[in-house]
Amino acid sequence: MSAMSQQELFDTLSGLALFADLSRPQVEAVAHQMTEESYPTGQRILRQGFTGTGFYVIVEGEVAIKIDGDEIARLGKGDFFGEMSILLGEPPVADVVTTRQLRALHLGGPELEGFLRENPSVMYRMLKSIALRLRNANRWRS
Amino acid sequence: MRNMSLSDEEKTAALAHVPLFSGISFESMSRLAAAAGEQDFAAGQFIVRQGQIGTGLYIVLEGAVRVLRGSDELADLGPGDFFGELSVIDQQPRNASVQAIADTRCLSLASWELLQLLQTDTALSLNLIRGLVTRIREYGEHHRH
Repeated sequence: MSAMSQQELFDTLSGLALFADLSRPQVEAVAHQMTEESYPTGQRILRQGFTGTGFYVIVEGEVAIKIDGDEIARLGKGDFFGEMSILLGEPPVADVVTTRQLRALHLGGPELEGFLRENPSVMYRMLKSIALRLRNANRWRS
Repeated sequence: MRNMSLSDEEKTAALAHVPLFSGISFESMSRLAAAAGEQDFAAGQFIVRQGQIGTGLYIVLEGAVRVLRGSDELADLGPGDFFGELSVIDQQPRNASVQAIADTRCLSLASWELLQLLQTDTALSLNLIRGLVTRIREYGEHHRH
């Protein structure tokens, strides 16, 4: 993965659904509140049954969601994970493993709630995205 | 169940016990109480039907309801529980039916009122996200067992 300049990172973030309602200065502020991290292919970022490690927004790359070793979904650019465990205060119910080299923005668990309160438009986008996830979860069941 | 309609103060008192509204601002609570309508349903009556366009969120004050998809019984809900939020958020048709299984009193909140509140009260949004995430986990566990 080639190095991304700050400018390129801001451009990329502005294009993600979660940050779509933010102005450019707000996108830059969000990027400063979060940490940019890179992971090689095959790395486990969240571990089923272990206490959570944070909230992640995928900037580039892909991860697989696995429960008891079975892959149930893949997430890519613009998708996010880790928020369920943080908000419920429960360990992750799935492993999250990179299937390609990954670049992500990371926020520590205890910071998520404050971050969302400071960025209501991000929270609203997250709410819509989680509603869609619930609808799809329902669909799989029926 | 009483047949009198609730005053705004009584609605506020009832809403204060609903986890979805815990920690929201006084202003939001007043708006909620003024906007929420009271509806009574007889045992057996359908409150929402799968496939219909949703027009609001319901909060159970008294009684009990059953969430159904086709002939599948998904969950029973009681006082303090809420339903109907998904259609409000994504404006898609109801994905399940809800039937009163006892004489039931609900407060209902129109979609646009809820959407406005969600965009102004971050505590409410956060509570709702927690509620949805809890349901996703419960469905996931139900699915696997």
